[in-house]
Amino acid sequence: MSERKESDVQPAIRTGRLTKHYGAVKALRDLDLEVKEGEVIGYLGPNGAGKSTTIRLLLDLVRPTSGRAEVFGLDCQRQPVEVHRRLAYVPGESALWPSLTGREILHLLGRVHGSVDDAYRDELVERFSFDPSRRARAYSHGNRQKLMLIAAFMTRADLLVLDEPTNGLDPLMEQEFRRCVHEARARGQTVFLSSHILSEVEALCDRVGILREGVLVEMGTLSELRHLTALSVEATFDGEAPDVSGVPGVTAVERAGRTLRCQVQGPVDPLLQAIAGMGVRELVSREPSLEELFLAHYGPQAAPPDPARAI
Amino acid sequence: MAASTTARRSVRSGVLRGYVFGVVVASQSLAYASTYKTARSRTALAAIFGHNAGLAAINGQAYDLTTTAGFTAWKCLMFLALAGSVWGLLLATRLVRGEEEAGRFELLAVGPTTRRRATAETLAGLGAGPFVLWAITAAVTIAVGHSSKVRIGPGAALYFALALALPALVFAGVGAVTSELAPTRRQASSWAGLVLGASYAVRMVADSSNGTVWLRWLSPLGWAEELHPLYAPDPLALVPLVALAGLLAGAAVVLSGRRDIGTGVLAGREGRAGSGRLLGSAGALALRLQRSTLAVWAGGIGLGALLLGSIATDGGKLVATSSTLRNDLSRIGATGPGATQYLSITFVLVALLVAFLAAGEAAGLRAEEASGRLEPLVVAPVSRSRWLAGRVAIAAGSVLACGVLAGALTFLGSVASHARLGAGPLLEAGLNIVPPALCVFGAGVLALGLVPRAVAPAAYGLVAWSFLAELLGAALHSNRLLLDLSLFHQMAPAPAAAPDWTSAGVMVGLALAAVLVGGAAFRRRDLAGA
Repeated sequence: MSERKESDVQPAIRTGRLTKHYGAVKALRDLDLEVKEGEVIGYLGPNGAGKSTTIRLLLDLVRPTSGRAEVFGLDCQRQPVEVHRRLAYVPGESALWPSLTGREILHLLGRVHGSVDDAYRDELVERFSFDPSRRARAYSHGNRQKLMLIAAFMTRADLLVLDEPTNGLDPLMEQEFRRCVHEARARGQTVFLSSHILSEVEALCDRVGILREGVLVEMGTLSELRHLTALSVEATFDGEAPDVSGVPGVTAVERAGRTLRCQVQGPVDPLLQAIAGMGVRELVSREPSLEELFLAHYGPQAAPPDPARAI
Repeated sequence: MAASTTARRSVRSGVLRGYVFGVVVASQSLAYASTYKTARSRTALAAIFGHNAGLAAINGQAYDLTTTAGFTAWKCLMFLALAGSVWGLLLATRLVRGEEEAGRFELLAVGPTTRRRATAETLAGLGAGPFVLWAITAAVTIAVGHSSKVRIGPGAALYFALALALPALVFAGVGAVTSELAPTRRQASSWAGLVLGASYAVRMVADSSNGTVWLRWLSPLGWAEELHPLYAPDPLALVPLVALAGLLAGAAVVLSGRRDIGTGVLAGREGRAGSGRLLGSAGALALRLQRSTLAVWAGGIGLGALLLGSIATDGGKLVATSSTLRNDLSRIGATGPGATQYLSITFVLVALLVAFLAAGEAAGLRAEEASGRLEPLVVAPVSRSRWLAGRVAIAAGSVLACGVLAGALTFLGSVASHARLGAGPLLEAGLNIVPPALCVFGAGVLALGLVPRAVAPAAYGLVAWSFLAELLGAALHSNRLLLDLSLFHQMAPAPAAAPDWTSAGVMVGLALAAVLVGGAAFRRRDLAGA
């Protein structure tokens, strides 16, 4: 098999100033997104941020107001059938055909998609403890999710588009899901995961994008993103906690008796200089979790998003 | 709380049906009054139709066909009582079982109330529908009854409307009980439908000969007949009707306390394995999901055609005695022997049914998109055009098959009654009813592309409009314009006249254009999900 040149390799997903307005509501504004083949991308944002809109645009369920979207170099709007052949989708909520059994639905979805790894499908049914003999109307929400997950992973599609896929799954099944994503990644499949579950995104994703009010405000690896926010410091003193508000880079100072809490942006040296020799008993510093990063963008003090400054 | 939401929906449904019933009563009474003006023609009508066992089986016994009131009662009572009963049971299963399947009944039942109270409130709201049906049908009948040609007093009109609305109430009760027993809405409707079918069959047997008249007391539809509205009112039968309605409502409330939400008292048929057939593609899936509905439609149309064919001879005699009717028919181009002319009228009814089927197919397209079940197909490598093309093929094929079936079975029925009609003209008449139905479907697809929420109103509205225009136009005799607005009027009155292939071609062409435009718009727009 000949080597592909770097320039020939198409990104799994590429959007160019992708915009969607629903009447007066600007659901998505000038989205420029690039996902390389083989990556696992997390896509975060609160309800109404535009995550599902992005996915619906990629899947040609809705048409963009302007801009374009491509999957593996194929235009999502002009060549939807070819695009769909290379991807599989798990929605957060699915409406199934109530009179068909789980087995029949898996068969149907496999035939309609065109490619199924039968052995893997049977293995997944086993691993997810899914009973395919019941009719769809008898399934609980969690079981319906399992069905859609199995239907997507069994196709071994090059791109997996997952919109809150573990909605309603218990922790054991969530672990199974994570295993499946790792296996897909090992096989070179690309995964686009839109999720609220920050621990899941933290555990699975190479890069994370944060969407806010239709604008992509951050995109990068977790370590890159961490540098953008402050380090959390908590210190306990022998005596009264000193006031460090004047120290450069220090914000959000809280003093309660002997305890001092603050945030440090940039180098921590000025703060350490300030409190050295003041009888520090304990010092704890913590990198922000993805939740804190996320909340920093959505807290009341955060500035409204500006498409011009977006990634 | 439950009562008012259910009542709102029930009343909305009842208002529409009330107007339709009223129009049917008005048109039938006006048609009779203007067609049979002389005492002689009325006596002749009574002689032909009054003692026909076959007609009595379908329409009930004819007591007095020489007055407008008597004729209206005979023509309308059984037809509307049956239609009302079907409506009642479908309304009940939709508002009781359907609400539960949608998960909305749960929200009421977990509130500060007991299961039984919630059900009782729902049933109270449900009852508002037949009440409104009664009120509006009575109002329209009173309005028409003022006319000197018709002469039906307000009291008689109220009593007549009661005879139509009470069976609806009773079968709403049946629907409520089966909703408690059956695990799904489909099964609840089928079981209630079976009970209705059995009631109708018993009444049919009762009316077909003198010795079996007592059987009428075993069927709610028979009780409606025993009320003898509009000519010899006998309120005795009101007692079993009201009593049964109350009993069924009580039973439904009691049963609701006994079962789990989400299933029925007689649940447990879920264990059957799927047949696994017809799942190879989106088109095959569509066939599989619709096969039982299409079979029922085809069966119903076929049976109807058979029956109508078998009474063609008597219908022909009726036409032969009425010069007014003959004039009307020749005005629209219907010629030939009496039986053929009679069939040209009845084929309009079959055309209505097939158009209803087409409207249902169109509404199904929108329902699939709105429910979110289209999404997994469209996200797969199935283009929207391919999906739509498959559904168009199924709709067109079903309509065509029903048309051919109608023609063939009318012929078979006519053979059984020795009417000596040719198979060719009847088959052509069957094909003739296909283009209006295709137009209805085309209108639905056009709406699907341009204004998706309007698919069901557009398709069903076109059918209802065409039928009402036809009915009113025929009754009022005069209004050519009104008749021209009806799709059914654009088709030639086959088999009494040769089918007008030009206008058929135009209708098919319009339908095709509508499908193409609608399809293109559908491909371009955003899909509205669940």
